[in-house]
Amino acid sequence: MERFIGPFERWLITPVVLIAIAIMLYKLLRKIGWRQRQATGLALISPWLVGFIIFTAFPLIYSFYLSFTDYSLFGSPKWIGLSNYIYLFVNDIEFWPSIRLTLLYAAFSVPIGVIGSLLMALLLNRQIKGIGIYRTIYYLPAVIPDAAVALLWRWLFNSESGLLNYILAPLLDIIGVGKPDWFGDPRFVLPAFIIMSVWGIFGTNTVVFLAGLQGVPRSLYEVAEIDGASVWAKFWHITVPQISPVILLQVIMGMIGALQIFTVAMFVRPTSAAGKFMNQLVYERGFTQLHMGEASAVAWVLFAIIFALTLLIFRSTPAWVYYEGEVKR
Amino acid sequence: MKKRLELLLSLILLISIMISGCATQDKTSSSQKNEADEATQKVTIRLSTWAGADEAKELQAILDKLNSQSNEYEIVQDSNPADYDTRITTQLAGSSGPDLFWVSAQRAAQFASKNVMLDITQRLAQSNKPVANISDYYETSLSPFKYKDSIYGLPWIEQPVVLYINKDLFDKTGVSYPDSSWNWDKFLDAAKKLTIDKNGKNASDASFDKENVTQWGFTLNGWPPVQIFVWQNGGDVISEDFSNSPIDSPEAEAAFKFYADLVNSPMVPSQQIIKDRGFDTMFKNQQVAMFMGGAADSLDTKVDFKCGVYELPCGPTGIKATLGDVLGMGINAKTKNADVAFEAFLDLTDAIHQWKVMPPRKSMANIDMMKKLHPDRADALQAIINSMEYARTYRYFENYPDWDNIFSTQLMDPIINSHADPSVLIPKVKPQLDAILKKAAK
Repeated sequence: MERFIGPFERWLITPVVLIAIAIMLYKLLRKIGWRQRQATGLALISPWLVGFIIFTAFPLIYSFYLSFTDYSLFGSPKWIGLSNYIYLFVNDIEFWPSIRLTLLYAAFSVPIGVIGSLLMALLLNRQIKGIGIYRTIYYLPAVIPDAAVALLWRWLFNSESGLLNYILAPLLDIIGVGKPDWFGDPRFVLPAFIIMSVWGIFGTNTVVFLAGLQGVPRSLYEVAEIDGASVWAKFWHITVPQISPVILLQVIMGMIGALQIFTVAMFVRPTSAAGKFMNQLVYERGFTQLHMGEASAVAWVLFAIIFALTLLIFRSTPAWVYYEGEVKR
Repeated sequence: MKKRLELLLSLILLISIMISGCATQDKTSSSQKNEADEATQKVTIRLSTWAGADEAKELQAILDKLNSQSNEYEIVQDSNPADYDTRITTQLAGSSGPDLFWVSAQRAAQFASKNVMLDITQRLAQSNKPVANISDYYETSLSPFKYKDSIYGLPWIEQPVVLYINKDLFDKTGVSYPDSSWNWDKFLDAAKKLTIDKNGKNASDASFDKENVTQWGFTLNGWPPVQIFVWQNGGDVISEDFSNSPIDSPEAEAAFKFYADLVNSPMVPSQQIIKDRGFDTMFKNQQVAMFMGGAADSLDTKVDFKCGVYELPCGPTGIKATLGDVLGMGINAKTKNADVAFEAFLDLTDAIHQWKVMPPRKSMANIDMMKKLHPDRADALQAIINSMEYARTYRYFENYPDWDNIFSTQLMDPIINSHADPSVLIPKVKPQLDAILKKAAK
């Protein structure tokens, strides 16, 4: 008969083991000559390190290994070298369209998101009465879960009774075009997703920009006003350079998020003639087809793309990002 | 610094002890349960299903009866339709999976080839229970659970696709009900007469206004699957030896063309309308006169008009074929109580055979027995039982989902949603499908 280790006992083991690891790490570090301060520091963050290694670093490395294998979750992985990657790039009919769709989506939704939330933040950056309430209302979208939002959008985009087509109907009548079938017609799927990404304008992005705007010293504006600068000049020559680090953050985070779009796509289930996003491919290959190796390969290609684009953006920063105290060369 | 570290550690330990006080009740109750189980020596068998609220309630009634009759096992159900496939796959890959689990035909074929389900070939042969008699099962229903001459599970339902009609709409238009002489032409003819525009003209009329249709004869959105029509015309989409996809044979191409023409005809609503108003909702709301659905959909009991259930029309050469949707159950290969789980598995399978329409057993496919079990569907049963004789399932193989992905996204989706011409697509898609079959054969 097995020893019954109840769930509570298992729960208690975790903190006890973590504390034990912390103490042992501290003793070990001191023995090899570390100073007390540093040893304590590392020992105290060791629980987080353990979690990171187990739940992030190890799966990361393991999935890289899996991308060179044929693994179906059952049985052990079989090494097949570069076969997965070769199959994806040469023989897989869905792969290149998926990269194209994902990149296009990011190319449109990130600028819209950044510019939109910046404009929103500018609007909310005033000291008028009730501004606190407005800011709260405009933050609400961040609180609603992705899945619920996706269902709501599916409803809104319903081509016969959805709100969007209802509003567009008079305009479409003038042009003489029928009501678009947003998720059924392949031509309208990408525009539909880009419209849905407008959701990302509100919520956290706006708040971050708001914080950035409020960090710009008033004195700069006052000086510019004395010199007779227009509203646009103030915005372009003072505001934007001053918040350029925040813009950089938003662009990078936005791009990383946009390239990984998944929840909305899975809930909305557009016609597959429009293509699939890369994370959808990962899910399908991994869980529906039980090709975990192939799914890992797709995920790593996505990582490579995100990495390359992020590097590119960082490379461009000397041209437009000003950190505090810098002077334009 | 040392003092602070000690303080921190004692604080953590203190909090752990406080929380342990709260959690004690769970501990004692679960250990009590263990003692109770030991006392009656009943093994807890965990069953995972995708049943929603109503189905789960009916299932629980069945389980209660089984549990009270057995002194070996206690079946406990864990029913959750959300993301069932992914959940069960991950659970079975790990060590905390259920003992028994419901499984679709497609998943069963995948699992059977990967030793996820227990090999029950020997156990079935040695069991005396009627439900373990393999020869009593329709071959169609067993095929997803077989892999290389071994059996890994049993089906608990094979529901054939049948034709539901709105008898009131038929009467109003004066179209006679389907009979055994119905083939594609007669079916199309009836559909045309039952498609009515706002002026009361039907689709076979010269002045028919296809922009203002108020009632359609039929509806199609990828369901029913084109395979039914391919089979009815004597073709196939995967060859019997799994070596290629003969979708370019004249019979198959003709069936694809029939399907594409039907999708684009005025007798079927546009895909946009179907998506907006709901596929089966339109039949329930009397906007569509004929609907092909599974026998277990029980539309005849769920609508407020006179609804008849008939066999599908046969193909142009008289071939009868329909899809048999198979669902079943498997035992986790990693179960710790294989013998008890197997007994529970057999009893539960038998009980579900009495519960669902249609059980996949030939001995139960007689009209009197089915009428006794399902009196509310007395009128529908004959057509359903007849359909079991020629119901077929897809030719599942290990990498079937890969094949199905290409078939759906590269061939069917464009035909249904983008008015694509099958004769243009078929030559392009066939090599891709063949490649997958070749890869799987290696």
